[in-house]
Amino acid sequence: MDTSDHVVDRKRVSRRAFVAGAASVGVAAWARGGAAQPKATFTYWNGLTGADGKVMDELIDRFTRETGIRIEQQRLPWTDLYAKLQVAVPAGEGPDLALIHTVEVPHFASDGVLEAIDDATTTGKGFRGEDYLPATWQGGTFQGKRYSLPLDVPQHIMYVNVKVMKDAGLVGADGRPRVPASRDELVTMAKKITKADTFGFAIGTVNPGRYTWGFHNLLWQNGANIYASDLKRAGVADPAAIEVAEFWEALPAQHKIAPPANTNCRDAFIAGRLGLWIAGSWNFTGLREAKVDFVAVPVPRLFKQPVVWAMPHQYTFPKPKGAADRAKRDAAWAHVRWMTDNVAEWTLKAGQVSASRKAHADPRITGDPVLKALLAQAPNWQVGQPTPKWVAAENVTRPVIEAIYTGQKPAKAAMEDLARQINALPD
Amino acid sequence: MSRPTRIAYGFLAPGLLLFAVYRLYPLLEGLRLSFTNARLGRASEQWIGVANYTRLLADDRFHVSLWNTAFYTVASTLPILAVPLALALALNRGRLRTLLRSVFFFPFTLSVVTVGLAWLWLLDPVVGPFNYYLRSLGVPARSWLADPQTAMWTIILTTVWWVTGYYLVIYLAGLQDIPRDLYEAAALDGASGWRSFWAITLPLLRPVLLFVVVTHVIGSFQLFGQVFVLTGGGPGDATRTVVQHLYETAFQNFFQFGAASAMAWVLFAVILAFSVLQFRLLRGHTEY
Amino acid sequence: MPRGLRSVDRSSVALTVALLALAVLWLSPIAWVVVTSLKPAPDIIRLPPEWIPWPLTGDHYHEVLLGSSRTARIGRAFVNSLVVATGSVLLVLATSAMAAYPLARMRFPGRNLVFALLVGSLMIPNAVLLVPQYVLTQRLGWLSTYQGLIVPEAAMVFAFGVFLLRQFFVTMPRELEDAALIDGAGPWQVFSRIILPLSQPVLAALAIFAFRSAWNDFLWPLIAVNKPEMFPLPVALALLRSAYSAESYGPIMAGAALSALPLLVVFVVANRRIVEGVRLSGLKG
Repeated sequence: MDTSDHVVDRKRVSRRAFVAGAASVGVAAWARGGAAQPKATFTYWNGLTGADGKVMDELIDRFTRETGIRIEQQRLPWTDLYAKLQVAVPAGEGPDLALIHTVEVPHFASDGVLEAIDDATTTGKGFRGEDYLPATWQGGTFQGKRYSLPLDVPQHIMYVNVKVMKDAGLVGADGRPRVPASRDELVTMAKKITKADTFGFAIGTVNPGRYTWGFHNLLWQNGANIYASDLKRAGVADPAAIEVAEFWEALPAQHKIAPPANTNCRDAFIAGRLGLWIAGSWNFTGLREAKVDFVAVPVPRLFKQPVVWAMPHQYTFPKPKGAADRAKRDAAWAHVRWMTDNVAEWTLKAGQVSASRKAHADPRITGDPVLKALLAQAPNWQVGQPTPKWVAAENVTRPVIEAIYTGQKPAKAAMEDLARQINALPD
Repeated sequence: MSRPTRIAYGFLAPGLLLFAVYRLYPLLEGLRLSFTNARLGRASEQWIGVANYTRLLADDRFHVSLWNTAFYTVASTLPILAVPLALALALNRGRLRTLLRSVFFFPFTLSVVTVGLAWLWLLDPVVGPFNYYLRSLGVPARSWLADPQTAMWTIILTTVWWVTGYYLVIYLAGLQDIPRDLYEAAALDGASGWRSFWAITLPLLRPVLLFVVVTHVIGSFQLFGQVFVLTGGGPGDATRTVVQHLYETAFQNFFQFGAASAMAWVLFAVILAFSVLQFRLLRGHTEY
Repeated sequence: MPRGLRSVDRSSVALTVALLALAVLWLSPIAWVVVTSLKPAPDIIRLPPEWIPWPLTGDHYHEVLLGSSRTARIGRAFVNSLVVATGSVLLVLATSAMAAYPLARMRFPGRNLVFALLVGSLMIPNAVLLVPQYVLTQRLGWLSTYQGLIVPEAAMVFAFGVFLLRQFFVTMPRELEDAALIDGAGPWQVFSRIILPLSQPVLAALAIFAFRSAWNDFLWPLIAVNKPEMFPLPVALALLRSAYSAESYGPIMAGAALSALPLLVVFVVANRRIVEGVRLSGLKG
């Protein structure tokens, strides 16, 4: 018996086996690594042109570092973003992921711009309704189908410039500025503040004259709305709406407490030329960066109810022309998942309260006075009506409220004209 | 086709192709579209006759736009005619003509957006320098662009600033073409500066004036960029122009191509009418 | 008369001084743009307005050109504008010159009709062609592409270019051409070897005109480009400051200043050519 041969053979076999084994392990490892290697890049459009935009940029960079997925982000002001989406998506030029407002979902969905998300995928990716604030979760559906996933709840809040209030003598014994609790109180305080080039009160970031979101907030506080409850007839000529319009008219004209219609209110507030400012929550991180001495208080009840305008952001997947690119779609989902998991960062840095409830308990959030105030407004949130004509109605509302603000048209006549225009909107 | 003809059209071909595809065809297609209910995304369109045009008769905002645009054109004509002319006359009599001409011409090299942004910032009601200086002079500051009374005039001001340099150069060239001896003869006859201006300069500048007016009218009726940046059509609809209404109808709100095409052709007709009118008024009947 | 001369001199000097003051005032909006672009953000909204920024900052330019902010993609927009304007100029020069030559120098049936058509088209306002041009561009698949901007921009200037060049060609003396033709040169050689080289001044003027037209055009790119990374400068700038946009003035002014740069360079270098071009376009009109 030639044991040496056997031994040699076994050695050769085992060496071969070893090499083969090692090779196959190597190939497997390389293949797995290779499959993971070319990460998708997907396109993402949003309208975050304020201070929160920079925070989104940071988070995207972090996402890319952690996952290797690159995002081509493009940003346009909201009105232009909607117009471009409307035109680009049917032409096959749309993005893979778009962040829009809840009020946009009905009209984009009905126009076939968005792809429906089936429930299996939603639950499969770990998104459950119970985790979310009901208004935001519901807002992502249209006619029974889901088209979007909520991210956060931009809302209004009232910023108070401490220095301006001090100069006007409107501080309490503790040095904290006094806060108006009613319309009359607001007007009285604002009148004390207003002089030369300083104004007492404004609603809106830029161009307060045509700030429809602010106008909506006031309408809702008075129980009025753009459409009547049947969502067919315009409700802007109803008495409650006209009352709001008359207040809008009185702000610069009769009370003289509001700045001109095209003022950059944010710059004015930072420069100490504006005392009480109702504006979006997305502004406050910018105010902190500019080292303005301010406090943020809940939107006061100027009419019947202390309603706070809220406009949740929703992630949507625009409908591709033809079949969706699997890799890009998965990459987009990965980003939505990541943002949802890390939404506390978004809240802390951008000032937008998350739609997901899990982040609300984060002590960093509850410990921040402004974020706490924003969260406290939750019971008073109201969102736009779920009709596909919402945005078209808003577009025609804009010049009308500006005409009221600048005294070109009396409030009642203007609102009646607006009602006619809204009723005449094509389907 | 003879050889010379073939050669000629050979040279013409590329340009004529470009012209036919991107000037002639759109002109005629626009007219056709104006009689349809074409809409973005709608696969087929139907002939609806003059419905788009009749709807314009009832479109209040279109009327406002047309009125604003016509107002802008007419109100800006005199400043556009007079300011560069005055500058040209002054430059002719002073020194440093080339340098000054360059300075005044420079704004013309900017895009309408840059012009708009510069003035938007300058005129900011709260933190802009213009209002600041006015206030320190004791003049009450206004929100020039948000006040319906001043908004359009402010836009006219920015336009005058923008294009004066261009017309200045044209006037300078025109003035240089006027023979010096005419002025010398007039001076010998005892004519004052003013008289020479009315009797010699203006009449001989008539073709230049005509060119300026016609160019200006065609451009003014298409006012869009300055308004987009400075006021967005506001306050209310006070500075809304026809092209803006067209743009929003076709590309922002409703994507209605048929209706927008009808607007475009109405605009074309108005421009033609105005141009013919200007031509008749300014052409005069005597030639020197 | 010495006394008379001196008084004329004084008044012209006084006039010049007044004009210089006006010129300084005239440039102030542009100065303000540049000054703002170099000011640190908190100084921008400070009153009284500071005309000399101190300290200076390059932050806004950095953000606009190299920054990670996705709103102010001015760097990319700058490149887009450059490509479109250059392409448009080349296309205009080629087509206009080739079309103007036979119109100026040859006799053929239809010549007057073609010329009348081209001149007449100068009266067509661009707004009238907007919608059908858009539909055409979409059908060609040229939306959001360079060619979708270059070709229409060139078409806008083409008729004017033909007009301008034809005027010039007509005034050129025929001797050189005739000599070349006798020597057996073909029409293309006459065109490219004789006519074109001698037309440099007017070609340069046309090029500058076409460059400015394409560089500064706003409305067509606004609707013909749906991909933000393909926006040319005017559109990118305008959208920085659109309704509800809250971009701050520093980067906007930096972008505006940058957009003015190429034409400023062209202007400084080729001042006389520009003036010639304007003259030529105006006087024969």
